[in-house]
Amino acid sequence: MSEVSLKDAPEEPGVNAVMSMVSKVPWGHIGMPAVLVIMVIVFGSINPNFYSLTNIANVSRQISPLALISIGQTFAILSAGIDLSVGSLLALVSVVCAQQMLTFGLAGGIVAGILAGCLAGLVNGLLIAKARVPAFIATLGMLVAARGAALTLSGGLPIAGLPHTFLVVGAGHLGPVPIPIAIVAGAVVVAHVVLSRTRFGRYVYAMGSNEEAAVLSGVNVARHKILVYVVSGLFAGIAGVVLTSRVISGQPTLGEVQELYSIAAVVIGGGKITGGVGGIGKTLMGVLVLGILGNGLNLIQVSSYVQNIVIGAIIIAAVYIDSARARRR
Amino acid sequence: MSKRAFLIEFLIGLCASAACGNALVQTDDAPVTAVQAETAGPAQVVEPGGEYPRPPKPSRQYTIGIVLPHLSNPHFVGQAYGYIDEAHELGAKVALLEAGGYQHLDRQISQIEDLVADKVDAIILVAVSGPGTVGAVALAVSAGIPVINCNVMTDSDQVVTRVRSDDEEIGRTQADFMGQALKGRGNVVMLRGAPGTSWAENRGNAFKKRLSARFPNVTVVGEQYSQSTPADGLRLMEDFMQTYAQIDGVYNGADTTAIGAAQAILASGKTGRIVVATTDFQQDTEKFMRAGVIAAAVVQQTVVIGRWGVRAAINYLEKRPVAGTLWTPLLLVSRDSVDRLDMRGVRAPEGWKPPTR
Repeated sequence: MSEVSLKDAPEEPGVNAVMSMVSKVPWGHIGMPAVLVIMVIVFGSINPNFYSLTNIANVSRQISPLALISIGQTFAILSAGIDLSVGSLLALVSVVCAQQMLTFGLAGGIVAGILAGCLAGLVNGLLIAKARVPAFIATLGMLVAARGAALTLSGGLPIAGLPHTFLVVGAGHLGPVPIPIAIVAGAVVVAHVVLSRTRFGRYVYAMGSNEEAAVLSGVNVARHKILVYVVSGLFAGIAGVVLTSRVISGQPTLGEVQELYSIAAVVIGGGKITGGVGGIGKTLMGVLVLGILGNGLNLIQVSSYVQNIVIGAIIIAAVYIDSARARRR
Repeated sequence: MSKRAFLIEFLIGLCASAACGNALVQTDDAPVTAVQAETAGPAQVVEPGGEYPRPPKPSRQYTIGIVLPHLSNPHFVGQAYGYIDEAHELGAKVALLEAGGYQHLDRQISQIEDLVADKVDAIILVAVSGPGTVGAVALAVSAGIPVINCNVMTDSDQVVTRVRSDDEEIGRTQADFMGQALKGRGNVVMLRGAPGTSWAENRGNAFKKRLSARFPNVTVVGEQYSQSTPADGLRLMEDFMQTYAQIDGVYNGADTTAIGAAQAILASGKTGRIVVATTDFQQDTEKFMRAGVIAAAVVQQTVVIGRWGVRAAINYLEKRPVAGTLWTPLLLVSRDSVDRLDMRGVRAPEGWKPPTR
């Protein structure tokens, strides 16, 4: 009996041992960071400028707005929703921030911009939670309307004449750290704590995994849904202010397509588009992959058209690998 | 300065002749521009852009980073040819980047930052936004990288030089042509071009100012900004024709919108009844001019802008003095003078494609 089974054994015992070792490695946790390390090594070996302090500072500044809206997007996607409007909100916030800054000064402009983001998020939340409009549709409508509002308020023209002290937000340093990165770091810490340690955070996950169960457990799903979209709008507001500082003007054309990259960041990091799975750390990984990929490919002179093909492939690959692993379990 | 005055005189002379459909005016005081040289006889073929000659080949290979708003119309493709061919002649390496559209200011800023990190020797900037690029220019200058501003201006005063067409002259020339073509009376609509850019603002404002100064009975009944695409020009012209019963002329800040406007006019059967004036001269513009739909084009020599940008960069890097502004000569073309236009300063060679990056 054992002779037959040995003869029929399809694989070498050695291969079996290796495969079982491989499957014990926690790919879910080290997969993305491993990909990042490989990318950094490959890009750095082709163009050593990749490692320069200037380049690192550049990349961190360039991905800060995306990182911030991806944090907000994480909340939305975790709750089994989505926020398609964040890109247009960047433009709306930029215009409001710039206009109010011209009248009310630096602080007034910044506060007005962030409030505009929160208000738009509130509208999204009310539509989704109270009027029961599906999140996709409600935020799609906001995407179009907010862009229109930004163009209307600004007359289609950029708003210049902002105080040069405002440049500090986008271009300044806190010690050795660029300010946008300091803002992102703060946002990441706060968001992570909220998602993992507060009741609101648990409800977000609950709504995402099984909304009916959450309702039946007595969670005020409507109120927490509204809060989710206000949070997304808040982060869009902060991102919009940072972006406006980088371009030192109110620009109604900012942020096109950025909502899609924020969704890509969440998904590449390992979050499930259907909700309930994911987190700030995972999203941050996704943002880093996108940012480092873009910057690295630029530095090794790959066409930006090809870059888009690569990013699309990575999004699909990330989700495929994730679902393939889930099926094998 | 006096060279500019001659140019202005010359162009006004051209306008007068173009409006009457006569041959090009040759005056003795006019500077040797490409247009005049062409008609001066086969022995004198002046290379377009010869007014600012190519410097001697430098001792070492410089790397020049070039950031453009986009490469989706022949104006910038022609300019890209100017940059790349000139750099090739001067032994310089080029990194050509485009932002994907005037709305992608953050991308252009990122591209400038990446060029600074890559330690290029000089940056040629065609700005996507005047105020928005000030910070990025400051960053490059503080890293010791000179910035040459070409075609579309940045508000920064730290640039080494500006290579540009005289936008006000473009607007004035179109106004003079329009006023004369309409015999001093009529309704005009304006397709101004990309909002917030120096060229759209300056050309359009100069057009309006000239009209109200010289042709007060020519009224601007409507004006719109848009991206520089034929689709936008078509849409806006159709809307204008629905809104205003009587339109006699169309001003165009860029010829991509003029192509769309021409299509709208053709479709409505009003060819010949609406005078279309435009800036620049891509192949479709030429086609519509020969078909009688577009009446006049004030042509920027975009290839020359490219060449002069690289020449200025090399001159600066080789520590030669560079003037604060280099004005590239404009050409005025209408149906009768179309065959005499020297395309070498205006378009890339047939079939040339910019390297995709």
